[in-house]
Amino acid sequence: MEIFVAQLLNGLSLGSMYVLLVLGFNLMLLVAKIIQFAYPHLVVLSMYVCWAVLRYTDNMLLVVLASVASCIVINIAIEPIFRLLAKRHGLDINVSFVVSMSMALLITDVMSHLLNYGYPIAFPSDWVGKSIFSSGLIAFSAGQAYALFGGIAAVVAFFYLLYRTRQGRVLRAISENSLLSSIIGIPIVKTRVLSYGVAGLLGGLTAVMLARLLGSASPGLGDFVGMKVVAASILAGLGNLKGGLVCGLLLGVAESMAIGYLAGSWSNAIAFMMMLIIMLIKPEGLFGIRA
Amino acid sequence: MKKNSMLRVEGISVSYGPVRAVDNVSIEVNEGEIVVLIGANGAGKTTLLRAILGVDKAQSGKVLFLGNDITGKSTDRVAKSGLGLIPEGHLVFSTMTVLENLQLGGYHNPREIDSNLESVFESFPVLRNRLDQTAGTLSGGEQQMLSIARALMSRPKLIMADEPSLGLAPKVVSEIFDILRDLNKKGYTILLAEQNAKKALEFGNRGYVMETGRVVLEGPTQELMSNPEVRHAYLGSNV
Repeated sequence: MEIFVAQLLNGLSLGSMYVLLVLGFNLMLLVAKIIQFAYPHLVVLSMYVCWAVLRYTDNMLLVVLASVASCIVINIAIEPIFRLLAKRHGLDINVSFVVSMSMALLITDVMSHLLNYGYPIAFPSDWVGKSIFSSGLIAFSAGQAYALFGGIAAVVAFFYLLYRTRQGRVLRAISENSLLSSIIGIPIVKTRVLSYGVAGLLGGLTAVMLARLLGSASPGLGDFVGMKVVAASILAGLGNLKGGLVCGLLLGVAESMAIGYLAGSWSNAIAFMMMLIIMLIKPEGLFGIRA
Repeated sequence: MKKNSMLRVEGISVSYGPVRAVDNVSIEVNEGEIVVLIGANGAGKTTLLRAILGVDKAQSGKVLFLGNDITGKSTDRVAKSGLGLIPEGHLVFSTMTVLENLQLGGYHNPREIDSNLESVFESFPVLRNRLDQTAGTLSGGEQQMLSIARALMSRPKLIMADEPSLGLAPKVVSEIFDILRDLNKKGYTILLAEQNAKKALEFGNRGYVMETGRVVLEGPTQELMSNPEVRHAYLGSNV
């Protein structure tokens, strides 16, 4: 029972990180009609930014600002590439998938050749924090608390933006029907750029929380997280935001349970077996495709 | 008295691959008029409206709106400049509420949304009680009314309506035409594309007849109605 509770807490805090990334990933899919596979890699790059800033200051606010700014700026800087592709090929998500995979490789290579000589980076131990609660096998670290509660706050803010604000309304309108949106005068390009910006904001916050949760990062982390994000999105049904919420958490918990009860290295295999089985039973995902 | 020209289309052509959907078409709409475009399905009416709005790119020709050349401008900028299209097939944002649809229509004048909503409810009282309903659950006629109301939220200078009667019950069609006539009396200029030639010609001041991408006839609707070719091809020879 203790193992179960411990792994549930681990799973939920890890899962809430997947959730944030799935939301950002799906937002760009819905509004900009792209599969941005390099998005998790960008988030890992922002973790490197956090790490670099931490060498000069331990001011939390500055670290968060740097992480968020870097993720927004790079994500928006990528946008014209996808716009150009859409001009040439039409809005073909397969093209964007292939192109963003090469971007992901490029980002991974930059991290493994140029940053910290390719070695994994470690965040200061007080950054992860001591356990704020422990009983037997159950330990809840400050980093986990940041990830879980920060994740919840970010999700609430995201859905508030989407369903309660004027800009959110416009984002949803374009995701439902971009042609009708342009006919009624909604600026398409500007709103698409906004979706990259919002995804960048979510990504930058996730980078800080991931750093506190994991305490380290390596060039390969982008691929590792990226696969999970794509898996959770497909499990839920591509572009399904609320489904992504459930499946992100589910994937985090399933992975942690595998670590708790089986040999830890099976966690990836289990996640992808889950995806295989669900895809065979429900090809449109658990909650249905929305893109 | 010479009326002010609102929209001037000068010899535009649109092709989809080898198919020339609109071929060297020129039309003009003056302030305060109701101009109708009639023609069979596939005559190029929808393509013409889409080209005016910049959804489909014209290969040649020019579109002037309120004296400005809007050829080749992006659709959202053309719409913002005061051209409101009511698209074919009572299109609404079906996953969003009626209120959200109307708010989206008023995207460019957020400060006047409340006053615009009030004036829209005068023409469409039925929408007032449906504000929180998801637009996809409205009936076809109600969706068409929402589509018109959404266009009005932007206070357009010219309303272009594409087959507003398509797929609706006759009683609803009459209602829609009454509403459009009412809007014209309130000062809106209207360009209407319509397959139902009889209804359209009764409704408009001037008309253009399109066939296979070209304008083959034009003139005041009274004249078109008595034109033997029009009577034969569009009104049924026994009319």
